[in-house]
Amino acid sequence: MVRIYVIDNGGQWTHREWRTLRDLEVETTIVPNTTLFSDLEKDNVQGLVLSGGAPRIGLNSTLGNCAEYLDKADFPILGICAGHQFMARHFGGRVQPSELPEFGKVELTICTEDDPLFKGVSKKSIVWESHNDEVTVLPNDFTKLAESDNCKIQAMRYNKKPFYGLQFHPEVEHTQFGDKIFKNFIQLCEE
Amino acid sequence: MFNAEKFIEKTISTLQKEIKGKSLIAFSGGVDSTVCATLVKKAIDNHLIAVHVNTGYMRKNEPEQVKKMMEDLSLNYRFIDASKEYYLALKGVEDPEKKRKIIGETFIKIFEKVAREENIEYLVQGTIAPDWIESGGGLRDTIKSHHNVGGLPKKMKLKLVEPLHDLYKDEVRKVARSMQLDVSERQPFPGPGLAIRIIGEATPERAALVREACDIVEKEIEKASDQGIMERPWQYFAVLIPIRTVGVHGDKRAYGNTIAIRAVQSVDAMTCQYSTIPHDVLDVISTKITNTLGENINRIVYDVTNKPPGTVEWE
Repeated sequence: MVRIYVIDNGGQWTHREWRTLRDLEVETTIVPNTTLFSDLEKDNVQGLVLSGGAPRIGLNSTLGNCAEYLDKADFPILGICAGHQFMARHFGGRVQPSELPEFGKVELTICTEDDPLFKGVSKKSIVWESHNDEVTVLPNDFTKLAESDNCKIQAMRYNKKPFYGLQFHPEVEHTQFGDKIFKNFIQLCEE
Repeated sequence: MFNAEKFIEKTISTLQKEIKGKSLIAFSGGVDSTVCATLVKKAIDNHLIAVHVNTGYMRKNEPEQVKKMMEDLSLNYRFIDASKEYYLALKGVEDPEKKRKIIGETFIKIFEKVAREENIEYLVQGTIAPDWIESGGGLRDTIKSHHNVGGLPKKMKLKLVEPLHDLYKDEVRKVARSMQLDVSERQPFPGPGLAIRIIGEATPERAALVREACDIVEKEIEKASDQGIMERPWQYFAVLIPIRTVGVHGDKRAYGNTIAIRAVQSVDAMTCQYSTIPHDVLDVISTKITNTLGENINRIVYDVTNKPPGTVEWE
C-alpha cells in the first residue's frame, strides 16, 4: 500500500482529497501544514497532496511548512488550488487575483500529449473550480500542462522533480477525470 | 473503498467502549440521525433515548412521520413540540447565520433539559463531514454554521458522540442500506428546516407558505421521476423569497411574493450540479403553487446555480 499524506491548508475539500485517496486504497492521513518534514520522513511518506486553502492564502501566505516540503522532498507532490499557487510562488512564479475568478463547472484543455499525470484524460474535459486567484507567471523550469478560457495556467509540472500544481479540483465528484488524475498521481508515488 | 459492514462492526465496538452511561440522540428522522440511532442502540440498547424536536419548521406531516419512524425502530423516545419557542426566538431575525446559531442553541437547550431530567451524560449527533467542514474553524473559512456544530456551547456538560463524523452522505446511505433501514434513500433536510428556506424573517405565516410549496415541489418531482420523465434529484425543494412582484389574478392586480424551485444532483453535497427539470414538470409545479397559495405567491422562478458558486440551500 502506498502512503500519501494530505497537507491541510484549510480548504473546503481537504477531507475530500483524503477520501479520494482512501477510496483508491492509499494509506492516507490529513496532517496540519505545520507538520515537520522530518516527521513525514519518519512515517515513510511516498507522496504529498498540498490542499487548497482558506480564502486568498495562495496569494500571499506562507502555508505553514509547505516551503520546507518543496525544498526537501524527492517524492511526488501534488499542489491543488492554493497548494498549486504556493508552489508557483515558491519557485519564483507569480500569483495574482484572477480577472475572472472561476467557480463551478469549467472546460479544461490539456496542452501536452504525454504527461503521466494526464494519461487517459481527454484533451477537453469538465473540471470543477473554486478560485479567486491564479498563477499568472510560470516559474522557471516549469511546464504548463493545461488551461481554461479564463485561466491560462490550470496545471503545471516542475521539470526537476515530480511536482505538479493544479488550479482545478480533481478531488470532487463532478470533475470528470478526477479519479483518473489521482490514480496517475498514485502511480507516480509508487514508482 | 468504504466498507459499510466493516464500518458498522468497528463503530459498534468503539461505541461500547466510548459510552459509559445514558445517552440522548438528536433524532430528526433523516438518514444521518437514523443510522446513528440504530448504531448506538445496537451498542448500548435501551440506555439510548431518542429526542425529536418539532421546531415548527418541519415539512408537511413530518412530525407524525418521524414519530412513527421512532416507533418502528423500537426506540425509547421523547417527542417535543417546541415550535412556539422557536418562533419566538427567531422573531425579527433576518441574518442567515444568526438564524442558524439561534436554532442550534435552542436545540442544545432542549437537549440539556431532557438530559437533566433523565440523568443523561452523552449527546449523540449524526454530524457528517460536510457539517463540520462548512462550519469552519482553525484555518477553514465558515461557509455556514451547521446547527449541530455552530450551535454547540463552548462549555457543554454533555459529552459529544459523533459516530459519522468522517462520512459523507453517500457513505451514510451505504451504512443505512446495509442495516436495511427504509430511510436510506430519503432526501436530505437541513436541521434548521424551513427556517432557512425563507429569506428574511422566518415567521410562522411564511413557514406555512414555504411548507406548502415544498410539498408541491416534492410530490410533483417524485411523481415525474417515478414515471421516468426525469432523474430523481439528490435534493429538491422550494424557497420563499420575500420579493413582491406584480401579477394579475382574475382581472385584478396581484402583488405577492416569489417562490424559487431548487433541485440538485450530488453525491456528497460538497459539489452539486443543478438538476434539469423538464419544462412540463416545471409548468405543473408553477401552476399548482400559484393556485394553491393564491394572493401570497404570484411568481415562480427556477434556480440554475451549481455548487460552487451557490450552496444547495439558499441560507
